[in-house]
Amino acid sequence: MSAQHMICMHNVCKSYKMGSEQLRVLKNVDFTVNKGEFTAILGPSGSGKSTLMNIIGCMDNLDSGSYELNGIPIHRTKEKELARIRNHEIGFIFQNYHLIPTYNVMQNIIMPLLMRGQDRKTAERNCREIISMLGLSDRLAHKPSELSGGQRQRVAIARALCSKPSLLLADEPTGALDQSSGAEVLALFKKLHEMGNTIVMITHDMNVAKWAHRTVDLIDGELIQ
Amino acid sequence: MRFTQILDLVRINLIQNKFKVLLTSIGIIVGAATIVCVIAIGRGGQADVAEQFRNLNAGAMDISCEQPQKGSSSRGANAAGASVRSASNTAKKTDPSASKQSGRSEKNVSGYPAELGGNTQTKSTRRITLSVDDMDDITSAVAGLSEATITYTTKQNIYGGNIEDTESYTVAGTLSDYARLSNLSMLFGDYLSDADNENKQKVCVLGYSAAKKIFGSADQAYDSLVYIADRPYTVGGVLAQQGTVESGISADEAIFIPYATGIKYLTGSNISPTITIIASDVDNISSIIDNVKAVLAQSYPDAEFTISDAGSKMEAANKSNRTLTLMLIAMACIVFIIGGIGIMNVLFVSVKERTEEIGILKAIGGSKKVILLEFIMEACCISLIGGLLGVLLSFAVTPVLTGFGLRMELSVTGALIALGFCIVTGTVFGFYPAWKASRLVPVEALSSE
Ligand SMILES: Nc1ncnc2c1ncn2[C@@H]1O[C@H](COP(=O)(O)OP(=O)(O)OP(=O)(O)O)[C@@H](O)[C@H]1O
Ligand SMILES: [Mg+2]
Repeated sequence: MSAQHMICMHNVCKSYKMGSEQLRVLKNVDFTVNKGEFTAILGPSGSGKSTLMNIIGCMDNLDSGSYELNGIPIHRTKEKELARIRNHEIGFIFQNYHLIPTYNVMQNIIMPLLMRGQDRKTAERNCREIISMLGLSDRLAHKPSELSGGQRQRVAIARALCSKPSLLLADEPTGALDQSSGAEVLALFKKLHEMGNTIVMITHDMNVAKWAHRTVDLIDGELIQ
Repeated sequence: MRFTQILDLVRINLIQNKFKVLLTSIGIIVGAATIVCVIAIGRGGQADVAEQFRNLNAGAMDISCEQPQKGSSSRGANAAGASVRSASNTAKKTDPSASKQSGRSEKNVSGYPAELGGNTQTKSTRRITLSVDDMDDITSAVAGLSEATITYTTKQNIYGGNIEDTESYTVAGTLSDYARLSNLSMLFGDYLSDADNENKQKVCVLGYSAAKKIFGSADQAYDSLVYIADRPYTVGGVLAQQGTVESGISADEAIFIPYATGIKYLTGSNISPTITIIASDVDNISSIIDNVKAVLAQSYPDAEFTISDAGSKMEAANKSNRTLTLMLIAMACIVFIIGGIGIMNVLFVSVKERTEEIGILKAIGGSKKVILLEFIMEACCISLIGGLLGVLLSFAVTPVLTGFGLRMELSVTGALIALGFCIVTGTVFGFYPAWKASRLVPVEALSSE
């Protein structure tokens, strides 16, 4: 395992129980991402992309195999440390945004920084640049329910970016966006990538995948490099 | 995550769910109000007891022999009774070993029937009249007594002052030291003296209310004449107002005369005197009671005496008061448990509703501790708000309850205890749902919808 590996997965399996049957979602996946890489995972619906992404994001357990993130063996790490890693190392943009409905846009965006122990004022200051970059400055007091799908997507992106993660994970970041705002987000990713960020992005759109450095295919739980 | 930030989140959540918070806290509101009221009632009761026993010496004991109630006294019978009593006394003194029993039997056989006359009383009932001699027996034989006195009361018709016809008053025959023993203070004049007693003087001391009723005012009463059973008594003093008392003679309404005067002119031996003794040390009361019983048993075998000490009366009153308070507290606890279960239910539902939120918080790095804290703090705040509303409610309810004649004393301590209970309930019942929420795997929580 070389020091330049950000993600190093070996023989990862994940299955769900469906009644009496086992549904094997990930089948012996080997997946490696180097630091600074911009990787796209391409695959049809139901192929297990989100499942893989959740495991990469330290949010789900794997059944067997090993997974190291930045050299840390995630499959053997305690929940408390995983929470810290999720907060400090990973920026996760969910397929369905996952914003907290009771909090407004600003509160949603600064939440990871609050978790880190920053006070509200500092956190808001640290997020201002990203907020204006995503064009959310005039929507800060709104609740997620008062936003369009694209705006929600951008709030989710802002929340993932403001914690300045070493690994950015995006599950269909442009799925809900129109052509131009989708292109904007992708341009932003490209810029973040050029700044040295490691990005893993899920998509089922070939055109979106083109923005990435490298594309891997996930078909029926099997990864094809 | 900073604690202040958690509180901030709690605040946002509570403000956005005002109605739910109010509904949740109803149980707590009622519980807190109950606790405050219970404590207020308990304190009110204690204050009541303290007031009733204000004039009472803690070391005081009343010795009496329950007498069958008799009709109005007849002079001849009384004289007979008195002579019997003195005969028995002389018998006791001259021949202590043998004639004690005979003295008693003499009283039974000859004295009693004569006294009863045509009365329907059962003949087997023994009549015992405590006397100054008995008091002297007790004071000389029982150690640890600081003072002793003997009193009796009788109902007499009074005439004088503003009284149109006659009125019935309680007349108490007392010795000179009665005023000191009963903590009575004088408004005018002096209390009855030893000389008054020895010479069987027709003097009296009026209770404050009695003086006011008979003469209009205390100073008009002083040095006037009162007719007790048609004989004139000079008012030698008027007592200051004493207030209500739990035991003994209600001094405000009574007329006090020398002990011997009353026996001579009013009652003869037809009295049921009470000997009051005062223990110099309150801790010795139970041994003193035993000793007094032994002394009395020598003079009056197989007679039953009632010895009530002020301390145990006070104790009993306080105890019944405590029992009531405990009962009310138990009730308050039940209310609290119900309130707590209410909180738990709502928090469970709220945790279910907010599983996605919990998943998100975990996904962006919220630790178990932070999530646990947020939910517990929410429960705590809900119950604290409920507690405050409950305390306010109790303030509103107090005048109503007081209107029903219940004495209540609100206190800061009571309010604080209620609030403390609220917080404990909220935390205890809020912990389980919060703990469950904090243990979810992020993905499971996220995909819960
Ligand atoms: N919690 C779960 N319990 C049972 N089965 C699950 C669970 N989560 C996912 N699956 C199943 O695993 C398979 C892969 O799901 P996943 O969400 O990873 O697909 P995906 O590739 O992200 O699809 P899409 O492009 O539509 O988002 C699906 O067949 C799904 O039904
Ligand atoms: Mg998916």
